[in-house]
Amino acid sequence: MARPAHPDAMKSSRPSPTRMAPPQMPPQYPMGGRYRAYTLFDATGFVYLLVGLLALRVVWALGNGPGAWAQLQAELQNPVYVAFHLLALLSVLFVGVRFFRLFPKAQPPRIGPAKPPPQPVILGGLYAAWLGVTLLMAAILSGGLL
Amino acid sequence: MSGNKKTFVITRFDPDRDEAPRQQSYEIEVDPRWKVLDALNHIKDEVDPTLSHRWSCRMAVCGSCGMMVDGKPSLTCKDSLANHGDTVEVAPLANFPIIRDLVVELEGFLDKLKQVKPWIIRAKERAVEEGTHRQSPAEHQEFKQFSMCINCMLCYSACPVVANEPDFLGPAAIALGHRYNLDSRDEGDAERQEIFRGEGTVFSCSYANECSEVCPKNVDPAAAVNQAKFRAVIDWATSFVVPRGGEG
Repeated sequence: MARPAHPDAMKSSRPSPTRMAPPQMPPQYPMGGRYRAYTLFDATGFVYLLVGLLALRVVWALGNGPGAWAQLQAELQNPVYVAFHLLALLSVLFVGVRFFRLFPKAQPPRIGPAKPPPQPVILGGLYAAWLGVTLLMAAILSGGLL
Repeated sequence: MSGNKKTFVITRFDPDRDEAPRQQSYEIEVDPRWKVLDALNHIKDEVDPTLSHRWSCRMAVCGSCGMMVDGKPSLTCKDSLANHGDTVEVAPLANFPIIRDLVVELEGFLDKLKQVKPWIIRAKERAVEEGTHRQSPAEHQEFKQFSMCINCMLCYSACPVVANEPDFLGPAAIALGHRYNLDSRDEGDAERQEIFRGEGTVFSCSYANECSEVCPKNVDPAAAVNQAKFRAVIDWATSFVVPRGGEG
């Protein structure tokens, strides 16, 4: 049997004349079937939380002089940090691909008099923008634009 | 087991006798052309008349026979037995209180449906002598997909947000409200958008997309919910530029 859902899920606002069994969760939720991808998508939020904390650590090091900055850079060479950044990259790629797949159909058929372009065009535009931003960031980080 | 026999493990619940739902197995001869609903009807007619389940049209129109089949929401009149193994597990729709056996309580859904005002709202009714409201095929096409819903509730039983947030209006109700917002004859957009911006509405959806995956009529409620979400954000943003009541 599946796990119980929230006891008030789909409950009527009126009292029932008969005793009812409480609602059950979808049996495959959270890690079976297609729910697995959705759960992993949600779980990437934890990775972004850690990335945010690490960003704060970077800001703190920047504000505490060359010694703190050098120490942080040395720490970031640690294989644990490298593995974490690989995980963060995979998380971003996973979320990006999922978001891009679902985003086009979330466009209303019209906004006032304006109509969105066809879904394949939106999808292509998203990937083109992603590629463009990635190339721009790579150029900046490699010193090519500075 | 012979090729024409299948075992059905069916959830049973008698509110007068059972503390909690239990499972009961039935091994029956099946016709390979049967749908899951045919097997349930055979069990009720020939094996165990105490089994309770809902069904009506047998052609995927009425939306009555939605159940969990092998753990997935399924319209049993459309779900061929050939798609399942020698053992088929049938349970009532997930996320709904269970009245008896495979029959779930739908009043909660009707409560939610009423909230989205699923009817054409006009600021001023047109006189009969002025004729019908005209609508072009292109205008009809904008909402047609969302009007194909048969209220089978599969989307609700697949939705993880429905399972966890009792106030969430849910996929079918929001899709129907959105359908009227897109209807060129309707003038109730502002009223419904007000509802869509409230607690437990479009912004509760985390876009699992399961509602659309299980929809037997390809309505794509996830698209409707997220289009409504998009509209609500645009309305909120434009309200700073064009205050309510102003000419847009």
